[in-house]
Amino acid sequence: MPGIPTPTPTTRPALIETWGVSKRFGEVTVVRDVTTRFFEGEVAVIVGASGSGKSTFLRMLNRLERHDAGRIMVDGIELDDNTRHLDAIRREVGMVFQQFNLFPHLTALENVSLAPRRVRGTSRAEARRQAQEILARVGLADHAHKHPFQLSGGQQQRVAIARSLAMQPKVMLFDEPTSALDPEMINEVLDVMKDLARSGMTMIVVTHEMRFAREVGDRILFFDHGCLLQEAPPDDFFDRQQHDRIRAFLGQLAH
Amino acid sequence: MTGLLALWPSGWSRERRTTATILLASVLLVLVMWLISKPLALLPEPIGPAADEFAAGTQVTVELTLVAGISGVLIGVLAAVAKLAPFAPIRWAASLYVWAIRGTPLLVQVLFVFLALPLIVPVQLTDFSSAAVALGVNVGAYNAEAIRAGILAIPRGQTEAARSLGLSPVRTFLDIVFPQAFKISLPPLVNNIVALLKDSSLAYVIGVVELSNIGNRVQAETFRPVPVFLTTASIYLVLTTVLTQISGAIEARLDIEQRSR
Repeated sequence: MPGIPTPTPTTRPALIETWGVSKRFGEVTVVRDVTTRFFEGEVAVIVGASGSGKSTFLRMLNRLERHDAGRIMVDGIELDDNTRHLDAIRREVGMVFQQFNLFPHLTALENVSLAPRRVRGTSRAEARRQAQEILARVGLADHAHKHPFQLSGGQQQRVAIARSLAMQPKVMLFDEPTSALDPEMINEVLDVMKDLARSGMTMIVVTHEMRFAREVGDRILFFDHGCLLQEAPPDDFFDRQQHDRIRAFLGQLAH
Repeated sequence: MTGLLALWPSGWSRERRTTATILLASVLLVLVMWLISKPLALLPEPIGPAADEFAAGTQVTVELTLVAGISGVLIGVLAAVAKLAPFAPIRWAASLYVWAIRGTPLLVQVLFVFLALPLIVPVQLTDFSSAAVALGVNVGAYNAEAIRAGILAIPRGQTEAARSLGLSPVRTFLDIVFPQAFKISLPPLVNNIVALLKDSSLAYVIGVVELSNIGNRVQAETFRPVPVFLTTASIYLVLTTVLTQISGAIEARLDIEQRSR
């Protein structure tokens, strides 16, 4: 295909690479020509105004949205219409949603143990043991038997994180994980995410939580009207910001 | 009408109460089928002497409803999934099925399967089998729409979460979408099954000796339509009552959040 850049070799292995990725919904181009890479063990934080295409870009990384143009490689596998590629990629990529999307008819323990049983073929007993362990890790050991409706928003989101972790993914995608939460519950979720980052998990986080971005992020990506406008370390991004548009964006958040 | 669910000690868990209700109502259904001749035999003329016939008719009605009901639910699930299939010809086939079956009278369908079908395919079914096929195919079309509505009511995020965990489309449907959709579809499904129980009386026209057929025969022999049809109607009422007790318990069992308590 003409016009699509080919991958260039680098010294550091990238877990996810995108080249010239674009996405249109009808007439509107929501993601435009994004080329970037995400490295192992890195916490990348994607910020930008609503409608800037940051969530759509994230959702393209495990093909919840198809890209119309460009290429995406995840852990050396091309993300395309090949369902075997897609299955292989989805086993390695965890996803946490804004609305949690827990399975309401299953208990917390069943939510966490389902995918290992069905996808990895783990035995029921072993999957439940592991699920109990992971739930303890996110501070919910005592809530394993409860159904989602019996849990607070923060607890539900922590179960959702545990559910993703149970598949032992190589990278976790977070799509505004605290945006649907009451303010007093945001921190319990962010704390779990910080622990995860400290443990070396590769994370790509779309969020409006600038404190989290500054504290935990290794790199900030700023999206504007579908374009990746800037990638920078947190210090440069927040304290030495040169770009007027991004300064204006950060200024609005401060008030 | 609260029914059997209220019978159990309040200390029992929802699972225990619903299981007990399902078991008790199922036992009741079997008892009605096998023992209804005993109380009927105690009644005066014209019912008492015909008690065994009424019991036999009741059995056939229940059997017809169970066979057609179970196959109707399976057909309904398949047709609902087909109507939502990504491959257009499968959707068209399912839509055609629902359109044709819902748009024609059940009586014509029963007669068609018994009288016309053997001329098209070289298989002559018995009167009972013909009625079961016609009723199952008929209720399947209505069930398809009830189940499709349930599937469509499940938020997209459920499928996205399951798929992003690596679950295949089939596993996503079986483990995530269908259990939730079934709960939503249950009240309209029960409507259809209750209607089926009563519509099974149409099997009468092709000679199936079910409850309505018995009622009409006894009436013709005795010229006592009032007690005969009151008895016939009462037996239907008993059957539908037991049926809705079972379905109500299943509904309560799936109602994890206990919203309709």
